[in-house]
Amino acid sequence: MSHTATAPAPETAGSHRGPAKGSGVNFTRVLKSEWIKVTTVPSTVIMLSITVVVMVGLAALFAWQTTILFDLQSDPEVAAQVQGAPDATSIVSTIPGSGLIFGQLLMGSLAVVLIASEWGTGMIRSTMVAVPKRIPALLAKQLVFAVIAFILGAGSAFVGYLVAQPILAPSDLAFGLDTDGVLLHIINTGSVLALVAIIAMSIGTLLRNTAGGVVTTIGLLFVLPILVATLLAGIADWIPDAARFLPSSAGEQMVAITIAEDALNQWQGALVLGGWALVLLVISVAVTKKRDV
Amino acid sequence: MIEAAELSKRYGAKTAVDRISFNVKPGRVTGFLGPNGAGKSTTMRMIVGLDNPSGGDVRVNGKHYAKHSAPLREVGALLDAKAVHTKRSAYNHLRAMAATHGIPNSRVKEVIEMTGLGPVAKKRVGSFSLGMGQRLGIACALLGDPHTVILDEPVNGLDPEGVQWVRHLAKGLASEGRTVFLSSHLMSEMALTADHLIVIGRGRIIADAPISEILDAQGQTRARVRTDRPAELVRALAADGVSTQQLEPELLEVTGANSRRIAEVALDHQILVYELTPLQASLEDAYMQLTSDEVEYHSHTLPEAPSGADSKEGK
Repeated sequence: MSHTATAPAPETAGSHRGPAKGSGVNFTRVLKSEWIKVTTVPSTVIMLSITVVVMVGLAALFAWQTTILFDLQSDPEVAAQVQGAPDATSIVSTIPGSGLIFGQLLMGSLAVVLIASEWGTGMIRSTMVAVPKRIPALLAKQLVFAVIAFILGAGSAFVGYLVAQPILAPSDLAFGLDTDGVLLHIINTGSVLALVAIIAMSIGTLLRNTAGGVVTTIGLLFVLPILVATLLAGIADWIPDAARFLPSSAGEQMVAITIAEDALNQWQGALVLGGWALVLLVISVAVTKKRDV
Repeated sequence: MIEAAELSKRYGAKTAVDRISFNVKPGRVTGFLGPNGAGKSTTMRMIVGLDNPSGGDVRVNGKHYAKHSAPLREVGALLDAKAVHTKRSAYNHLRAMAATHGIPNSRVKEVIEMTGLGPVAKKRVGSFSLGMGQRLGIACALLGDPHTVILDEPVNGLDPEGVQWVRHLAKGLASEGRTVFLSSHLMSEMALTADHLIVIGRGRIIADAPISEILDAQGQTRARVRTDRPAELVRALAADGVSTQQLEPELLEVTGANSRRIAEVALDHQILVYELTPLQASLEDAYMQLTSDEVEYHSHTLPEAPSGADSKEGK
């Protein structure tokens, strides 16, 4: 077997001129490597498929539930139906992204798993030996998964929109893509998932541990808002006010159709959630650059 | 070429590597030998930038590892065999690694064939035996056809055929003019593979010399002698200032005199000698002698105190 080991590109002593031009590491190549990594672990692909099914399924379920409620309310009097219709539009408009909470839960967890499992399995050492500058490897992984999360989120919302229409049509609730705010709602369902994925992956990078990362992410996204709303709200006046800037609230505003007074609008929500993602990303990258792996 | 200068690594109060300086030159196999916990792996991890040195400096081919534009083409490293995602196949792992440097798939297939991974390449790495994991690690190290190859305990878990393969591989790579740096805690393995030895103990370099030199420096002239009158021979040799040890009723081990001198003494005293075997100081002995003070985790045949016994059993 040994003879084969010496076969490729035999070099004589001292003739090594360094790597040929164009054979080094660049960001496009690292992106490709990270793409291969995401697509070659079967459980990742399964998780992504489940997310799509759940998000589309919830949109259909929510559409069906809306028709039932609407039919119950409108049956007794024809007049109420005429009056109720405009209100219904704003309710049904959020049906495409009704799986967003579950989407965040699944994609957030998956983002943590993708990076923390590299530490768990030791893969991170192979990654960092191949890309010793480290930052390109982390950014490439973040970018690849954020794009996947965006496409998956926006795609699921769009399919959710399509699936909902025939369910809504018998109740005269079907709506067009040109309805106010619907297109932005669908696109931002993807944007929220992408930003949440970045937040979760940064947490996973900092903690280097799957269980800890998932718990922390869920705590930040789902438990903290409840704590703030129930336990902490009474402590000081500014707390409910500051709660608007939690990732979960900012994300909700990004996909909202109608904006309440005093609330952030879609773009402000995007700015806040984007801020969270950026800060955590910068911290996680800076820490990983310095740390022993 | 690997150049370390005053390289140190501390973890809190513990110093794992203590200001070591050494060069690993191309064209020969350099063994990196030391007991467990001596600092071999830490040193190797610093060479490829996984650990940041607490002090000093280490360069590969004139630059810090991370400064190379194509690091995998400069240095191939097997640091631990399980640095692979367990759910990915060996083929896909190598493909992902190769992609970072634009290394073509043909090269991936080449290293798979080279390391004998062909039949299991599409299987999950998690199902691999230790030996297969080692082969995958070596495949990964060779991926970029690097000029410098670093292998940390490469024969761990390999079957005899695999051990021999690594031996030939290391020598083959060195004969092509590459720098080969190989760590082990097994002296016998080093004796068969390495041309040059760097011995490390408790984070310090104990020896840095050609293997033959280390052997000569440590070796004492010894011989095994069988005679039917051992007591008389012992007395005669003792008069000559030579020490002996009686191993069996008619078997002596003589230290400090060569075979000819022993034969002369025996002849002078008319003692029949029916075996006289010069003993080569074994590399194993030389190693034990070198590192006896430097072993971090001494093994005790018997627990010395009840408290020590408790902690060892880990109940």
